[in-house]
Amino acid sequence: MHQPKVAVLYRDAKDRELWEETLKGVPGLVPITVELDFTASLERLRHFGGSLRLVILSARLYPERYPELAAQVRAVCPGSELLLVSSSEEPPPALTPLLADQVRHLAFNPPHEARRDGEYFPEIVSRLIDRRPWEICSCLREGTTLHSFGLRSSEEKEALIGALEAVLAGEGDEFEMLRQKGALLADELLENALYDAPRAPDGSRLFRKGEKRVMLPQESIVFSFGFDGETLALELRDSWGSLEPEVVLEHLARNQEGDPIAGDAGGRGLFIIWRFLDHFHMNVQPGLETAVGGHLQLSSGHHPEVPRGFHITEIDKEMQTCTA
Amino acid sequence: MYSMTATPANLTPEHDCFVLEGTIDAQSEPFFRELPKKVRHPQVRFDFTRAGRINSMGIALLLRCFKEIRQARETEILLEGLSPTNSMLFKMTGVFLLAKPAPAGANGREGAK
Repeated sequence: MHQPKVAVLYRDAKDRELWEETLKGVPGLVPITVELDFTASLERLRHFGGSLRLVILSARLYPERYPELAAQVRAVCPGSELLLVSSSEEPPPALTPLLADQVRHLAFNPPHEARRDGEYFPEIVSRLIDRRPWEICSCLREGTTLHSFGLRSSEEKEALIGALEAVLAGEGDEFEMLRQKGALLADELLENALYDAPRAPDGSRLFRKGEKRVMLPQESIVFSFGFDGETLALELRDSWGSLEPEVVLEHLARNQEGDPIAGDAGGRGLFIIWRFLDHFHMNVQPGLETAVGGHLQLSSGHHPEVPRGFHITEIDKEMQTCTA
Repeated sequence: MYSMTATPANLTPEHDCFVLEGTIDAQSEPFFRELPKKVRHPQVRFDFTRAGRINSMGIALLLRCFKEIRQARETEILLEGLSPTNSMLFKMTGVFLLAKPAPAGANGREGAK
């Protein structure tokens, strides 16, 4: 008998209705409506617990209504990853509980005008089930040219940003906006790899922001991007693997929920990357590689003020839990 | 690249005006460190019409600079000529908590284009 790999916890029938269309492409999905009987819902999860690779939680349940839910799900499904899903038309979930519960995947139901973006859900669910990290080509149309540049010194940063802007040639406000966002994203990704990623064994920074520097022997920074006429995808890989998923989530939470003028929150660059992309992805192989990137659309239906989804994975831990 | 100028057309006895030009990033640090000392009036206008990209380091410098200006005296900070991207950036990073977009004035400019 085929064992289900994905379960989704809805709050009630209305919640289920909201997500049914978006999740209909996910094969073998086990839907559970929690408020019919909370205890029975957890028992049902426990029944499938051994085979489940992913449990999707509705933001109408967690973190606000049932703050313990993530821990309870983990207890009955120890091998599963958690993905929190929220409607882009409702207030976004607070990030601090996600940080405490190590919930590293958040996705928003796209607004009606961003239909194409809806194809993203089955794709991301499939990747989470198989523990396959995001790839830059996965969101671009087949045959799209991918541009990749290995950085040799910080002096090349502006030329790379210029190369990205040249690929986004087009007239009108949408193109102008995409060029500006793309340039800012490239700037932040490159600054992060040049000055934040390089760390001494004690964790201290090796380089000061803005200083001119060349790549160290064995150091690799590769910036890649592609544009298929509608979607821009960007990725930055560095050979440090120094960003920890918990630290990234902490940066996002602190910049979103803290007082921005009380002091320098740190991690503002990552926060900007997250908020300017339609979907933010990060994959870390500790000590080996960090890949940060994502994509955004020319005609993005996402409201600029609404937080975006993120997917933060760590290869070592993922491999340990991989049973497929 | 950045530069600071006082624009004569905008200069009144009541306000200072600084025109920002080019990318605002780590290289702009010396400029923003000195800027608060040059404020003389209770109202300061920053014109971003010729400003380009503003990265996270640029945001940190603007926040520090605006905070210092407001702490020194009760100064109102107005921003004009903002691109939609920079407006979005200022909103999400809290810059608008210290400075607000200038209303459309006699010169026809708005805070956010």
